[in-house]
Amino acid sequence: MGVSKLVLPPFWSLVEAHGAELLVHARRIAGDADGEDVLQDALLRALRAYPRLRHADHLRAWLYRVTTTTALDHHRARRREVLTDAPPEPVTEPEHYDDSFEVLIGDLPQAAQAALRLRFVEDLDYDCIAHRLGTSTVAARQRVSTAIRTLRTQGIAA
Amino acid sequence: MTLPAHLLESIASAAVREGLADAVYTHLRTPIGTLLVVQGDEGVVRVGFPEEPEDALLAQVAGRLGPRIVASDRELAATRDVIAAYFEGESDTLGLPVDLSLVRSDFRRTALETLRSEVHAGDIVTYGALAARIGHPKAARAVGSACATNPVPIVVPCHRVVPGSGGVGSYGGGPARKRELLAHEGARVPA
Repeated sequence: MGVSKLVLPPFWSLVEAHGAELLVHARRIAGDADGEDVLQDALLRALRAYPRLRHADHLRAWLYRVTTTTALDHHRARRREVLTDAPPEPVTEPEHYDDSFEVLIGDLPQAAQAALRLRFVEDLDYDCIAHRLGTSTVAARQRVSTAIRTLRTQGIAA
Repeated sequence: MTLPAHLLESIASAAVREGLADAVYTHLRTPIGTLLVVQGDEGVVRVGFPEEPEDALLAQVAGRLGPRIVASDRELAATRDVIAAYFEGESDTLGLPVDLSLVRSDFRRTALETLRSEVHAGDIVTYGALAARIGHPKAARAVGSACATNPVPIVVPCHRVVPGSGGVGSYGGGPARKRELLAHEGARVPA
């Protein structure tokens, strides 16, 4: 039996399919003014990692994770510029963005982590997330958005 | 809904600048329809007619050059200019670098390289004559296959190869386009 070669779709087809919603997501975390810069940075990070992906599943969710991480990096750097004279930390470029996503959400309460994983790792819609969490759809949506807000606040505090 | 054009261009340009793009593609409007032109580090690797499904075409390139494929008119401006000049009758496309890595055999590659370097605009050649030029006078049919599977039509001018039995023969973009290209080049179009 031969080893089947991993077939990843041409990167730009992902950008065309998901770019607009990723921009909305980037703006939600980093603010309207920085949304486009964040998305560009996120997609370049994604391109760097793309050939090393081990599977071609849930690529949309993967792009959401990269965008989330990038947006929070920008957000933190921006707050630091405003609040202190301290130089920004060097931008870290982990080999695998799944790891950096786990680091990112590591300090959140378990329930919030679970909600974010269902949304951005398993790529589930809110009906499915609700089912998995045993809550209503509205509550599931709220839990994810509260978790994102908490991440933003942590960014400010960091 | 898609991203604003300026943002897409900015992302694609940054990707190329940072060496993150395996290939770049652009759509180019021409008198024979909108062509999809894909270019890698070595040169133009694929030219597609409007009838060809874009997803499959780009996936084919991705399989060979890698999946980091981006779209940019700006990054391919020089290539666009050369092809546009060809359609305006101002030049041929010989100045374009070509990457024949999608061609499956050395025989086919030799046939296409010889065709490109030796059969110029305004000339036509039969499949048999091209086969003879590459030292395989009996391989007219194999030369036909090389032309039929040419990944870079127009840039490698397989429209200039016709059957010895008369007519323009078949063409990846359809015989009507083949006639149109030959007429555009001032070749004597076989009846």
